[in-house]
Amino acid sequence: MNMASGAAVRNDKLIVDSVHGDIHLRPIERTVVDTASFQRLRHLKQLGMAQVTYPNATHTRFAHSIGVLGIMEHIIRVAKSPLGLSDEQQEDIRLAGLLHDVGHYPYSHLMEKVDKVQLAEEIVDGSSTINASVVKYPNHEEIGRLIVTKQDDLIHALGGLERATRVADLFTRETTSDPQLSKLIHSSMDMDRLDYLLRDAQAAGVPYGHIDLNYLLHNFRTSPSGMLGVDEKALTAVEHFLFARFFMHKTVYYHKTTFAIEEASRQLLRRVRDANKYNIPADGNAVKTIVSGTDLGTFTDAFVDRIIESAATDDDPVISALANCIRRRKPPKLLKEVCVLEPNQEQHHAGSTFRQNCRHQLRSLAEKHSLPLGRFLVCKTLPLTLEERGAQLTEEQARNLAPEEREELIKVFVRGDDEPVSVVNIRHSVLHICSNHFFQSYRLYFVSADGDPESLVHMLKSDVANWDAT
Amino acid sequence: MDRQQIGLKLTMDALGLPLSVGSFDDRLILQKIVVIAQIAGVDLGYHFHWYLRGPYSPALTRDAFAVANEAEVFVTDAAGCHLDEASLKRLAQLRTLVATKDRGDLASKLELLGSTVFLLHRRGISGDDTAELQRILKAYGKDFSMAQIDSGLRELDEYGLWSSGSK
Repeated sequence: MNMASGAAVRNDKLIVDSVHGDIHLRPIERTVVDTASFQRLRHLKQLGMAQVTYPNATHTRFAHSIGVLGIMEHIIRVAKSPLGLSDEQQEDIRLAGLLHDVGHYPYSHLMEKVDKVQLAEEIVDGSSTINASVVKYPNHEEIGRLIVTKQDDLIHALGGLERATRVADLFTRETTSDPQLSKLIHSSMDMDRLDYLLRDAQAAGVPYGHIDLNYLLHNFRTSPSGMLGVDEKALTAVEHFLFARFFMHKTVYYHKTTFAIEEASRQLLRRVRDANKYNIPADGNAVKTIVSGTDLGTFTDAFVDRIIESAATDDDPVISALANCIRRRKPPKLLKEVCVLEPNQEQHHAGSTFRQNCRHQLRSLAEKHSLPLGRFLVCKTLPLTLEERGAQLTEEQARNLAPEEREELIKVFVRGDDEPVSVVNIRHSVLHICSNHFFQSYRLYFVSADGDPESLVHMLKSDVANWDAT
Repeated sequence: MDRQQIGLKLTMDALGLPLSVGSFDDRLILQKIVVIAQIAGVDLGYHFHWYLRGPYSPALTRDAFAVANEAEVFVTDAAGCHLDEASLKRLAQLRTLVATKDRGDLASKLELLGSTVFLLHRRGISGDDTAELQRILKAYGKDFSMAQIDSGLRELDEYGLWSSGSK
């Protein structure tokens, strides 16, 4: 697809993007892109550690951010008249799209989610203290806001703090932002997903994310109340988009090998942070200090790589085993996986039985083989539904959603209606039926280490083979 | 259930509130009490944005549905988990703030308190000039009366969430 438009002017900088074709940067966007704070995104891989499985999946947040700017051009063309967007507002939205990921952590979501990690001993023992007095790692949008409003190069590129704040407010949806403009960035079928599905699929070399972007973009509409949606004639493209997202998660984002090495990394970072080692930020305040100051340029994938390298010789055998499996690219072995596809809200299934058995039997298994519990990774993917939010709701609940909740749903303009409805409520859509189920994968991995008997993994697999049976 | 979701459920338990998502009032109560708890120093890691009904976190909504849908799993996943002492103490102080029996009344009260305290803290707005605060709240779509705002500020003061002259 070619993003070139008639709006391009002579001073624009042309970037040839492998996914979208020509994307034109206006002078202010070029200045922003040239800052060191933005160039940091060249050193953050979009797909974390997925290159372990898909060797070409090494594309960066930088390329994705440029791609989002390209898609934003189309959205603005559709929305500017109905929403009465001024030239300055259009420019602000483009800048917000360009900068929406500027706050990503090293390896993207990997480091950001450290506070969610549960270690095997916590799951098995069932006891641990959740310390809510400690400031958590902020999410990447909050970090992005700090970078845009604290880093001098970006403030200067944006023409001053006032505009920097305005743009940051848009992508973080702060109190001062214009809700109409924020909607363009945050609606469920947002620019972010439209770009990353295509880009990730192309880089990984899988066909599942190849959405019909052109047709979707040409059928975007805005309602009199400012709701963004897609015309009903593009319903199939919407369905395809949601299935593409579902399949990309199953095949790429939750791939058993990628997930294994990323889970090992998350658990390593959590353990290293608990032990206060290797200069990992102790809490959210320490992260904020890094991204607000002169150390921002060091906060790249290499930041985590250095921690992994240092931890490889750690005295703690679990920490060193985790670090070595990552640096040697020998991902944890999958001992057992239980996949479930169940109606929403179903709590009793083979996956929950498996997790219960992990809880009750893992300690005995570890003791039987004289292994530390920490070398077992008990994990599960997020429950995956076709429509992330709508699927969790009954029709009645979906009708009674607050505006902010409704915004997260993908909306379609049914013929003759001024306001769009959630796609899951369209009775002739396949999503009306299929979104009532969730897919989830429950997994038990084992981290190998030097000195393990060759037959160990085989024995462990045999020991856990029936753990999904009641 | 991950540690953030366990922390959320333990927080609601400590406040004596059910983690319900069935009605809009249920979800509004959840959103506003979590923003208040976080400002009170119980950091659950949710980032709040400003929407039509005040501070709102999409991630919190997702986690709330996940916890509500896995209520039975929670019993085993979090059987021996507990919040740290300082957080429990702070939440115990907030229990009376949410003791209102009627869910509709509680939702209205927390919408006022959550929105006000969020603006005071996030935007650095002074609460000393009630008329100015009312104007700002109105600009953000919150049409509260002066009496309601005064009463809300007194309550926030009482619970150590704001004090006159603090900004």
